[in-house]
Amino acid sequence: MANNTVAPKSGLRRRIENFFIGLASAYRFVERFFKEVWFPPYEFKELIRQCYQIGYNSLPLISLTGFIVGVVFTNQSRPSLAEFGATSWLPALISIAVVRAMGPLVTALIAAGKVGSSIGAEIGSMKVTEQIDAMEVSATNPFKFLVVSRVLASTFMIPVLVMYTDFVALMGAFLNVNQNELVSMSTFFVQVFDAISFLDISSSLLKSLVFGFTIGIVGCYKGYNSTKGTEGVGKAANSAVVMAMFLIFIEELLALQITNFFRQL
Amino acid sequence: MRSDNKKTVIVGIFVLIGIIILVVGILTLGAQQKAFVKSYRVFAVFDDVAGLQTGNNVWFSGVKIGNVRKINFFGESQVEIEMNLESSTKDFIRKNSKATISSDGLIGNKIIVIYGGTGEAPPIEAGDRLEAVMPLDTDRMMETLQENNLNLVNITNDLKVLTGRLAGGEGIVGAMLTDSVLVQEFKSIMSNFNQTANNSNRMSRELARFSSQLNQSGTLVDDLLNDTTLFGNLKSTSEELDQTVKRAQEAAKNINKITENLQSTDNPAGMMLNDEQFADMLKSTLENLDEGSASFNETLEAMRYHWLFRRSFRKMERAKEKESED
Repeated sequence: MANNTVAPKSGLRRRIENFFIGLASAYRFVERFFKEVWFPPYEFKELIRQCYQIGYNSLPLISLTGFIVGVVFTNQSRPSLAEFGATSWLPALISIAVVRAMGPLVTALIAAGKVGSSIGAEIGSMKVTEQIDAMEVSATNPFKFLVVSRVLASTFMIPVLVMYTDFVALMGAFLNVNQNELVSMSTFFVQVFDAISFLDISSSLLKSLVFGFTIGIVGCYKGYNSTKGTEGVGKAANSAVVMAMFLIFIEELLALQITNFFRQL
Repeated sequence: MRSDNKKTVIVGIFVLIGIIILVVGILTLGAQQKAFVKSYRVFAVFDDVAGLQTGNNVWFSGVKIGNVRKINFFGESQVEIEMNLESSTKDFIRKNSKATISSDGLIGNKIIVIYGGTGEAPPIEAGDRLEAVMPLDTDRMMETLQENNLNLVNITNDLKVLTGRLAGGEGIVGAMLTDSVLVQEFKSIMSNFNQTANNSNRMSRELARFSSQLNQSGTLVDDLLNDTTLFGNLKSTSEELDQTVKRAQEAAKNINKITENLQSTDNPAGMMLNDEQFADMLKSTLENLDEGSASFNETLEAMRYHWLFRRSFRKMERAKEKESED
């Protein structure tokens, strides 16, 4: 988007043209990622460093969010179920909600806010300070070092974070249910696993992989194509978050349709 | 360098814990849903599966023993259910067991319930088809319930009218509720009824006693009922009586005939009874005879004192006296 060289035009036409140019540019960026990812040199150290940054450093924030989501969702669902005396269904309801949707979605949104923005800002600032150009001059592939490592780290860490989020959210829900309905942990988890299936877990994992890839690729793309100095860095960070979140919701919608299709088989 | 190693270890631990959570989750899920348990497949064909879905549980004696694997259309409009059951249940489910569709709560998921089966039947085998029993159709239940409701409305309406009339003192019961005199009369009737019932009771007791006495051997009734000789005698007596009656009937006929003859004038007796002229003649004859006999009597009296006969008359008197003395 930022590197378009088309002469400025007014009105709707310019916008439409910019949109398609941006789409083509994004496609080329993703294509380049899939070309670069298979071939050496592999930046393992950078990958581990990014995994640490994206995964481990996000864990406290995501755990806390997951716990709060579990407690709040349980509390908010209770009155509705209590209306027809079905509070014993709380574990099943929370299990379905957390595993199928809320775990991956909350994790991805938090990660998009924290990780996506930091990737966008980091790569954006490197771009505007011409560090990327300097890397190219020094015979280092900046795309492989900066983009591939971050996108891979994001793709693999989000599913792991989703596992943590699911666990912590269910624990939060258990504490709430245990306090109010005096349900034991074994009963709670029996009901939790009774309500879900392998399809729920596998779809949740696959969805998280897609969310992770989206967060990483959008952050890198926005940073890699940032312009206009420090202002561009802020804009890249901001648009990375907004675009990643928007795409996550679209992907969630598509994943739901695909999962339902497999559920009916 | 050391910092890099530390980060690598932390990332490794972080990923490992994440994978452990995932693996534990999968294993728990598999154990709970019997995914890793050896199973066998059985079938059941239903007319209507009432919203049963693939993956729904199969229960036997209240225990989850498997799940619905596949739902296929079968025949014209039937549905064949393919179920995966745990191998450990093979010895407990018999070939004559039945399968029905139920629910695991008032508004819960649909389940298949396997029940029944007798020890005489052999254990179930993979590929067997269980007899399907159609569950209670809620729609039909609701229809019946609606009919009941309508009946209930009619009953309550009738009851309302009835109670209204009762409260208004209409009819016997209403009058009884409101009229104190009637209540007293009813009470007395009831007491009479009570007395009658007591009397009936006493009478029935007496009857029982009487009948028991009748049943005692040696009594007339018992002999009548049980003595075959007496019965034979009675029978012959009755036959004789019958003959006697017949004879009496004949005699009555004869008398009737005589009476008829007496009423006619073509025979002497009838003429005597019915002919007035003859009667007058007879009467005058009898009068003449009476007069004749009187004069004959006088003549005889005169003869007693005649010398010719006086002697024989005296002889006759003496013979009479002698006879009386003997």
